[in-house]
Amino acid sequence: MTNPVTKDLRHFEDLEVGEVTDLGKVTVTKDMIVSFAREFDPFPFHLDEKAAKESLLGGLASSGWQTGALSLRMLVESFLGNIASAGGLGFKNLKWKNPVMVGDTIGGTVTIAELRRSHHHPEWGIITLDFDVKNQKGQPVMTMRLSNLVELRDPAAPILETAP
Amino acid sequence: MTRWFEDIVVNEAFDLGDYTFTEEEIVRFGRLYDPQYFHVDKDAAGQSHFGGLVASGWHTVCVGHRKMVDALFAEEERLRGLGREPGISGPSPGVNAMEFKAPVRPGDTVRYTLTVTGKRPSNSIPGWGLLFNKLEAVNQHAEMVYHAELVGFSKLRDYRMPLRLRALTALARIPMIGKALRRGT
Repeated sequence: MTNPVTKDLRHFEDLEVGEVTDLGKVTVTKDMIVSFAREFDPFPFHLDEKAAKESLLGGLASSGWQTGALSLRMLVESFLGNIASAGGLGFKNLKWKNPVMVGDTIGGTVTIAELRRSHHHPEWGIITLDFDVKNQKGQPVMTMRLSNLVELRDPAAPILETAP
Repeated sequence: MTRWFEDIVVNEAFDLGDYTFTEEEIVRFGRLYDPQYFHVDKDAAGQSHFGGLVASGWHTVCVGHRKMVDALFAEEERLRGLGREPGISGPSPGVNAMEFKAPVRPGDTVRYTLTVTGKRPSNSIPGWGLLFNKLEAVNQHAEMVYHAELVGFSKLRDYRMPLRLRALTALARIPMIGKALRRGT
């Protein structure tokens, strides 16, 4: 059963461990920080410059969840939107390493760390992606390992166990 | 929670309340942050294995965070009402694990619960403690939507800076010495 929406995109069989994708870049403005914080993370240190200066962040900085959301957006535009993605499974070891301050530009890479077939669902493979997001000074901003489902072009292909 | 590190009780659970996801919000969040077809295009989403629109996992997580912040503020109010001074919560260093278990569809109501699973003083930031929390999101059919292991900072009430650090902080306030000290680090 072919999915007409994804049929012309890259499938699980077309992906390789070690493949690196450039995420592109996004500049984070004060308006972006404040409007996201109002909706999802209304701590004073994400809303108010004075409160932010006195906090551990040392100035107005984006919510870590916003940094993640912007990184996800970059991932969809540069990679996930071009493959037959079937949804996210979750993530591990998300680390916010440096705050993203007003005017910072973030970008980075995502690398395919693992590819394996799903045993319960032969029509899917599981892709594991390592995020490395940095600011314009090259300082690390966020790292995490994300897992996502990808459709197979040929679900009938035998599941080969890779050597440990 | 918004309590001093010393007052946080391991295994205490907090009901963070629930949230109903509308189609409009699911699509708006998807367009902004996760524009995959099953989050933004109702017709195309019908062709996916989901069989229709579903919320971005990141959307359900951001709403969960908002529910947690609201609960922190409510706890702060409660403590003030009792005539007690609330503690101070800090930013989070990260998330150990997050697993999406069931999709959230338009009209679904998700209930969020936070449980403190552990705590210890921070090794890297004096005067602050680390909190380990479990967040669980469950839908109206009692299905687990996601669960997560979160890490947060909370300030110590009774922290006294070691004498050496206090002396250094005092010296750093003198302009010339402060400059030299900062250059040295």
